[in-house]
Amino acid sequence: MNRQSSLPFVFLVPTIALLAILALTPTLYALSMSFTDRSLFSPDFNYIGFENYLQLWSDRRFLNSAVVSVKWEVITVTGTMILAVGLGVLMFECASPRARNIYCLIFLIPVLLPRVCAAFVWKFAFHPLYGIVTYPYRAITGKPLDLLADPTSALMVVAFVDIWQWGFFFAVIIVKLLESLPPQPIEASRLDYARPWQIHFYITIPMLRAPLISLALVKAIESLRSFDLIYVMTRGGPGISTETLDMYAFSQGFIESGKIGYASSIAVFMLILTIVAFTIIWKKVNK
Amino acid sequence: MIARVIGKATLVFCAACVLMPLLWTLMNAFKVNADLLTPVPKFVFEPTFDNIAYVLSRRSVFGALYNSLIICLSAVGIGLVLGLPAAYAIARYPNRITREIQFFVLSLRFLPPVAIAIPFMVIWLNLGFYDTRLSMIVTYSLITTSIAIWLSIPGFQSVPKEVEEAARVDGYGPYAVFFRVALPVAMKALMGALAFSFVLVWNEFMLALMLTASNAKTLPLVASEMSQQGLNVPWGILNAAVVLLSIPPLLLLGLLGNFLNRAFAQKRR
Repeated sequence: MNRQSSLPFVFLVPTIALLAILALTPTLYALSMSFTDRSLFSPDFNYIGFENYLQLWSDRRFLNSAVVSVKWEVITVTGTMILAVGLGVLMFECASPRARNIYCLIFLIPVLLPRVCAAFVWKFAFHPLYGIVTYPYRAITGKPLDLLADPTSALMVVAFVDIWQWGFFFAVIIVKLLESLPPQPIEASRLDYARPWQIHFYITIPMLRAPLISLALVKAIESLRSFDLIYVMTRGGPGISTETLDMYAFSQGFIESGKIGYASSIAVFMLILTIVAFTIIWKKVNK
Repeated sequence: MIARVIGKATLVFCAACVLMPLLWTLMNAFKVNADLLTPVPKFVFEPTFDNIAYVLSRRSVFGALYNSLIICLSAVGIGLVLGLPAAYAIARYPNRITREIQFFVLSLRFLPPVAIAIPFMVIWLNLGFYDTRLSMIVTYSLITTSIAIWLSIPGFQSVPKEVEEAARVDGYGPYAVFFRVALPVAMKALMGALAFSFVLVWNEFMLALMLTASNAKTLPLVASEMSQQGLNVPWGILNAAVVLLSIPPLLLLGLLGNFLNRAFAQKRR
């Protein structure tokens, strides 16, 4: 290949420059806003140093939302991976190649649905009086069941919808990964009368360790974009039991007080945490 | 053998978990409120087209549909024009710099949307472009371009080097090789990448919520607003809006399934 060609510069420089401008400008702007007491309602503002950041640590609601965010990450990532591995293995073992193709198409649907739609579909399905999911409970006990209004179950219901969207999608990827493995070790262990679960537990899953970790990481990143789901289903409620960091930043900046300086400091906190964590993990995984 | 039967039953159950809620929503879009709000779910009912007609006749929905189409297609167009050449350069000239660029493009996905939404809002307000289609297109092109680059790199890598060499021997310059050989050969994989980027921005909600107020509102926003009309939620209309919003991504289902198959078939080689 001709290394002296101008092509890489012509093809890369404008694109990367534009991406850098589009990504760095708002990031730096958020950083500078986080040091101000800027509000939506007045054009004047002062630089107040680290005051916003100091205030965060005595803000109960902020600490609560950080805990909710961590819970959300843990529940959705583990839930998605368990469903995906289980269903992927099941498809690999029990479905003929033709049936597998059909299942793969079906299981792609939830992740393609707009999250706003997925949220509505399930919000109505969980409706305390008319929902189809709560129908068996109503039929048996005669009482309505409002899972989204209960602080202990609300987060689980929203997480369930998230897992519904991503778990099936990852199952499709895992079945393709299983198909791409060399068949010899699996056949050898079959000849030795290994049970299917043993084959997968001891052979195929360990062989897929690296891609599975990458998948979990991708899910962890995507789980940070939980805002739309939570916004439509619970708005952070009941109370603040499903209020994640981005939901709290949004309500501080736009719904309650218009304190966009303070909201920016929450956003910057989130930004630094995620960039540092994911850069370290990603570089470690893809060494 | 019993295990196999149970396994197959579980698979059917999972497929039902995906399809049932969607079919239910589709059915609900054709119900009047009296059929919809029943304590016992109703499967037999007289279909009505009022909900769909209402949704389609609302100017807010029509405007949002128009906005969504213009904004998303333009952003995907920008992703195509800027992203595909960059992806080709990264795929064909692997060295330290392009690897760093590849990681930079990926790391854009790490940015929490709330961290760029707030400053973008202030920036567009200051520039006088807040709540315009232009500002939404520019903001979304950040998403489409980075995803288009990331997902088209494998597509370009799968173009056999020999084909490009042969074209070069025939006297094609590097640019002609890209436009006349690499692009057409990789086209199918690239279509999948672009479809993915379209679905991402079509479904995007948070940036649209913060960056638009009335003129540039996109369809997900208008759909979400319908549920916030107090106690009398018009569920039938809402279901119809959900169906309308879901159609474009689902139309791309086949294309995206093929894209995944191709990506993994390539890995096997």
